[in-house]
Amino acid sequence: MIRAFARSAIVLAFLAIPLRAQAQATPGYAFVTNGVADFWNHAEAGAKRAGKDLNAEVTVIMPSSMTDQTRKIEDLLTRGTDGIAISAIDPANQGDILNKAAAETILISHDSDAPQTNRQVYIGMDNYDAGLLCGRTLRKAMPEGGSVMIFIGRMDQDNAKRRHRGFVDGLFDRKSDPARNDVPSDELKSDDGKFTVLGTMTDQFDRAKAKANVEDTVTRHPDIAGMVGLFEYNPPLILEALDRTGKLGKVKVMGFDENSATLQGIKDGTVVATVVQNPYQYGYKSISVLNELHKGNKSVIPTNKFIDIPARVIDSSNVDAFQKELQDEVSNK
Amino acid sequence: MTSDAKQPAVVEATGARRAFSPQGVKIWGIFGLLVAICLFTAISNHRFLRFGNIENLVHRTALIGILSVGAAFVIITGGIDLSIGSLVCLVGVLLPYLLVEHSWPVPLALVAVLGLSVAIGIAHGLLITKMRLQPFVVTLCGLLLYRGIARGLTGDQSQGFGVGFKSLRAIATSKLPIFGSQPGVFHLPATALILIVIAVVAAIFLNKTIYGRYLLALGNNPEAAKYSGINVDRTTIMAYVVCSTLAGIGGMLYVLDVNAAQPSDFGNFYELYAIAAAVLGGCSLRGGEGSITGVVIGAAVMVVLKNTINLVFPQYENMEFAIIGGVILIGVIVDELARRFVTARREAARQNKTNPPG
Repeated sequence: MIRAFARSAIVLAFLAIPLRAQAQATPGYAFVTNGVADFWNHAEAGAKRAGKDLNAEVTVIMPSSMTDQTRKIEDLLTRGTDGIAISAIDPANQGDILNKAAAETILISHDSDAPQTNRQVYIGMDNYDAGLLCGRTLRKAMPEGGSVMIFIGRMDQDNAKRRHRGFVDGLFDRKSDPARNDVPSDELKSDDGKFTVLGTMTDQFDRAKAKANVEDTVTRHPDIAGMVGLFEYNPPLILEALDRTGKLGKVKVMGFDENSATLQGIKDGTVVATVVQNPYQYGYKSISVLNELHKGNKSVIPTNKFIDIPARVIDSSNVDAFQKELQDEVSNK
Repeated sequence: MTSDAKQPAVVEATGARRAFSPQGVKIWGIFGLLVAICLFTAISNHRFLRFGNIENLVHRTALIGILSVGAAFVIITGGIDLSIGSLVCLVGVLLPYLLVEHSWPVPLALVAVLGLSVAIGIAHGLLITKMRLQPFVVTLCGLLLYRGIARGLTGDQSQGFGVGFKSLRAIATSKLPIFGSQPGVFHLPATALILIVIAVVAAIFLNKTIYGRYLLALGNNPEAAKYSGINVDRTTIMAYVVCSTLAGIGGMLYVLDVNAAQPSDFGNFYELYAIAAAVLGGCSLRGGEGSITGVVIGAAVMVVLKNTINLVFPQYENMEFAIIGGVILIGVIVDELARRFVTARREAARQNKTNPPG
């Protein structure tokens, strides 16, 4: 008796959660990220906005690992969807599931490409080029050179690797070679002897660890001249840690992406500049391209299957205008 | 009078009344929860019952189920193993690392990773019994060690099979045509077969062999077990070896299934899923009780819940942990209430029998 009652109570509790209407005349698209971050909130805003403009239902999915991402694609295919835009965590090894998705629905990639798969188009920027831009900007800000430490969430995804390579090439001002593969943990020296990359520290999206990495770097290399945070949350944590260790303003900090603390740092003069992608446009463009493909309009795919949304450098000259642009995006969600 | 007091235990263990033993109640309770969640999901999204989805669910349950059976063995002894997820990661990273990066022959690589898992289990057991370290501490260090080693060994690079080793991967990815090979019928994932073999062996071991009874006795009361002549150390070590070996097998199957392992997050939290499945399935963290059937159903509950969120509430996807946590809590509370209810009723019945009314 009690058990039967309790069991029906569980079912009722479930039913109390508002149910989404099952049958939908409007098309439904999924926007799959490679993790959880503020960066993706801007992409979500863009994707949702596109959904509203195009009268489509948009589901944003932020998985926690590659296994989780694979499982969630499987479940998406079960649920049925008219198209998936994905930033694959490990495209070289996710071929099976991505091709399965490409066979069952429309698959495009954004942010981090999956070139070996049957995805129809890639929307994003070239991470090598963005890294190059980032490295060159820091090089310009450090005319007398010095040692630099790189902080990044993880090195096992394609966009991280390319961004990292681009950064080192830009900082060292060496010939562009996206195929060059330095061992990230090694100390690297530029040919002109001016710059040293002390190493690359990863944190697996663990913010506390990211901050500790910076603090430990200051302890170990008190004379460090430059730091770069290549994932969105890295630059603010560099600022926090430098502040705590009394090094704020003494180390040239180069950022990546548009965290509000990074932008504030540019205004305060504690951050040299930041290289921004356009996650809002990743989201917006992904959904609108999916919608065109769903309608059968293949002309949105360029011949090189790459829709470029280029990176920009934000420094003290344009930070105010850029912040306003960001606010408008989110308020238009 | 004295014989009467002992009577119920004997009666319960036989025949139909077995289902109403405390353990039986737990299994029915968790099974009811599973059925309720399945029913709810099937009503909310008709695609839930598609064979493709059921195959996915059976497959995922098999993978987490293998880990959970291992976790159950140490939990039954009153211990804990927090290193399961990291061991899954280490084995998951090592297997492609040895095969692809170092071109080891397949049998050698398999023997190496399984041997490593067994060795890790023995090490845990020895540290816990001979060094008298607490299981929590030993396996917590294991959690940190194995993931750290996996990351250091590979320089944080994801290890995968790419497009190779299809026949080896078939162990984890193939589906058996038990109802004929035509498309559209249910195919049994090969991993389910592996889980069934492991679960049956584990259940027989636990319930029908003397060593299984030792394990339960040890969990119930280590002192009493010791004084009744049970080799407590050897039994404990055995439980940790079983757990680590199953974690190793699970890690192998996971990486063969998803094709690659990221040293930084592969298998993250899996020890907690395995422990939750074991607890849902009727294991007490105090030791001394647990059933393999219950643990496998517990694993299925975890898997189906995630599927429910993805199919019915994709917009609440980021609340996944909260929903799973909430349902487990409800399950455990309902189970406890049911147990109290059954115990009270039995007590009342016994009272009535000893002091007939009127």
